[in-house]
Amino acid sequence: MSETRVTAIDALPGEFMMWVLIMSELAVFGAGLIVFSAVRLTDLSGFADAQAQLHTVGAGVNTVVLVTSGWLAARAVGLAEKGRVRATRVSLGGAAALGVVFLWIKGAEYADKAAAGINFETHSFFTFYYLLTGFHAAHVIAGLVIFALVAWKCQPRLVETGAQFWHMVDLVWLLLFPVLYLVGRV
Amino acid sequence: MDVTRAWVTLMALSALATALAVFGQGATWAVLAILVAAWIKARVVLRAYLGLAGAPDWSRGFSLVLGLFMLAIMGLSAFT
Repeated sequence: MSETRVTAIDALPGEFMMWVLIMSELAVFGAGLIVFSAVRLTDLSGFADAQAQLHTVGAGVNTVVLVTSGWLAARAVGLAEKGRVRATRVSLGGAAALGVVFLWIKGAEYADKAAAGINFETHSFFTFYYLLTGFHAAHVIAGLVIFALVAWKCQPRLVETGAQFWHMVDLVWLLLFPVLYLVGRV
Repeated sequence: MDVTRAWVTLMALSALATALAVFGQGATWAVLAILVAAWIKARVVLRAYLGLAGAPDWSRGFSLVLGLFMLAIMGLSAFT
């Protein structure tokens, strides 16, 4: 008589290796935000002055863009499970398009900083800012490539894995945005 | 929570955080409220979008680590 053992790993939705990636990415960004918050205490006025140079409205719009993109990615998973290939691709395409909008707004902010002579070494605030948001933007670009691949194959398991990666990118931004852009300003 | 209700919740919490940033007048309570909103949003993404609502043990583990992280950030941010 065969016996099926359900392990703790089996209880996780989606691909286990994607969860390993999600946990490691969250640990990296989490450590970065804690160090940033600790270093800020050594120069509150300098960090506040540097933070005032950021585009809070643009970053706020990007929050809406990424959250909506995550919703489309989550919908794509349900559509793929129902075998609705075209609708799945449309949903993934919408999520990817909003990812491009996110990068465009982020690129405009970087260009504005560069035009103002602000770079990596201007202040330690900007060192953290470029490291954390640049690393995050690299993940957005990776997510777009993943979306293209899973939309091409359009298999439910692959769509779920791609969406998992995108939700991790979404989650990281939801934590980055208030710490980098809002705390210290309000 | 289905994914559309999760999206509505995330948008509402984002609007709340923006309002707190605009009208908070530099108060410590406003900083902490913004971070609490981020905390709730992170939980919504984990449970509704990443599907941890269907894996209660993992959900509790993630919630514990997320809670410790947010408390650390709130502690460090309360002095800004």
